[in-house]
Amino acid sequence: MLFRSLLIQGAWNYGTMLGPGFAFTLLPVLRRVHAEDPAALASSIERHAEHFNAHPYLASVALGAVARMESDGADNETVRRFKTALRGPLGGLGDTLVWATWLPLVAVGALVLYWFGVPGWVATLTFVVVYNVGHLGLRAWGLRLGLEAGRDVGTRLTEADLGGWARRLQHLLVLGLGVLSGTILGAPDGLGSFGPVVAGLAVVGFVAGLVGGHRAWRPAAAVMVVVIALIGAWGILS
Amino acid sequence: MELFRLSMLGGLLGLDGTAVGQFMISRPLVAGWLAGWLAGVPELGATIGAILELYLLVSFPTGGARFPEGSTAAVVAVAVATPFGGPGAVALAVAMGLVWGQVGGWSVTVQRRVNGRLVQRLLEMGSSSGGLIRLHLVTILIDFLRGAVITSVGIGVGRFALGLVEAGWPLSKEFSVGALYMGAAVSLGILLHDLGGFRRRRVLFAAGLALGIVGARFL
Repeated sequence: MLFRSLLIQGAWNYGTMLGPGFAFTLLPVLRRVHAEDPAALASSIERHAEHFNAHPYLASVALGAVARMESDGADNETVRRFKTALRGPLGGLGDTLVWATWLPLVAVGALVLYWFGVPGWVATLTFVVVYNVGHLGLRAWGLRLGLEAGRDVGTRLTEADLGGWARRLQHLLVLGLGVLSGTILGAPDGLGSFGPVVAGLAVVGFVAGLVGGHRAWRPAAAVMVVVIALIGAWGILS
Repeated sequence: MELFRLSMLGGLLGLDGTAVGQFMISRPLVAGWLAGWLAGVPELGATIGAILELYLLVSFPTGGARFPEGSTAAVVAVAVATPFGGPGAVALAVAMGLVWGQVGGWSVTVQRRVNGRLVQRLLEMGSSSGGLIRLHLVTILIDFLRGAVITSVGIGVGRFALGLVEAGWPLSKEFSVGALYMGAAVSLGILLHDLGGFRRRRVLFAAGLALGIVGARFL
């Protein structure tokens, strides 16, 4: 199931979202439970392929718990309600812990290494290894937690305090973000070496992002592309 | 041959973005280095990947959100920069990568709609374990082809566009790359915004900033 869970988003779509992937990952368990009854197997595949959403890594918690419930013979309606109750927390926790904290933390760390002069392949390899220790560890932990706790997985999830872990790691991320900004600014060939105008414009960009949040990204990227295109066009004309 | 290899890489990394594994080898930092290694310029790949990673530091594959595809952006940017040695090559290639990352993001949206139709068909035909496995194989294959095609078209368009503009680029290489950091600074600001803003985080951020400046100067 752990290996199959790597493909849980293989058929991701706007209608049923993770549903088909959930059924696909659970398939070995469903085949075992309904080995004698093909009609029941088809019906259970259809039920599990219905709409479900969660963070792809933490979906393993739901997968483990549902596998345990199916093996224990829980009725369909209980399993359906259980999945509905779990999908919100698993989505929110996973987004906060993985996308908003772990991924940028490891990426910022690797970028600091790169701008400190470490060879590109070392920074890249460090990113891939460190990130995936957390990634695969979280998937395996979640699956085991679900299989052990079954329908009581909610309590065990609360005890694990993933939100608290995210908050603690975010302190480290803020520090890393400061180090990265300082490195880019202070490196011998960094922003500081282009004089006060360029450094000042970068500070303006930073403040725009700080104030505007995600709304600032597309306009900033668009302005950058247009400026580069205009410089290129000016170069051709002159 | 090089175009074929880079397109295959675009297809494989496109899979990592959502459908298979999410090991994050599709992040620009990794994709840039891999593309550079395939094209015989690993350090150029790492530089472009690192700059694009700064830009896309706040772009994650969350749920149904539409996001710029970092792997497409990085592979296209590295492939576009490689044949041009002029001072503007990196800046122009990164700009091209940013544009093509958006095209990649749009193609992911289309792919997800196609997946929806295929899933609907599976459910209408009556679900079976064989049907479910075939569905996954087909959607993953389509996603791979999507990534490969978008990457190869991006490389073609980008090299053509860069061929027109690059020779007349008026700025030095160092200044061109430096200018890219101005745009990247916006992403760093957005990340701090997401983490609670400057007021809440000023002590830690300032400590890190001082460490970074001192470290970059003296290490």
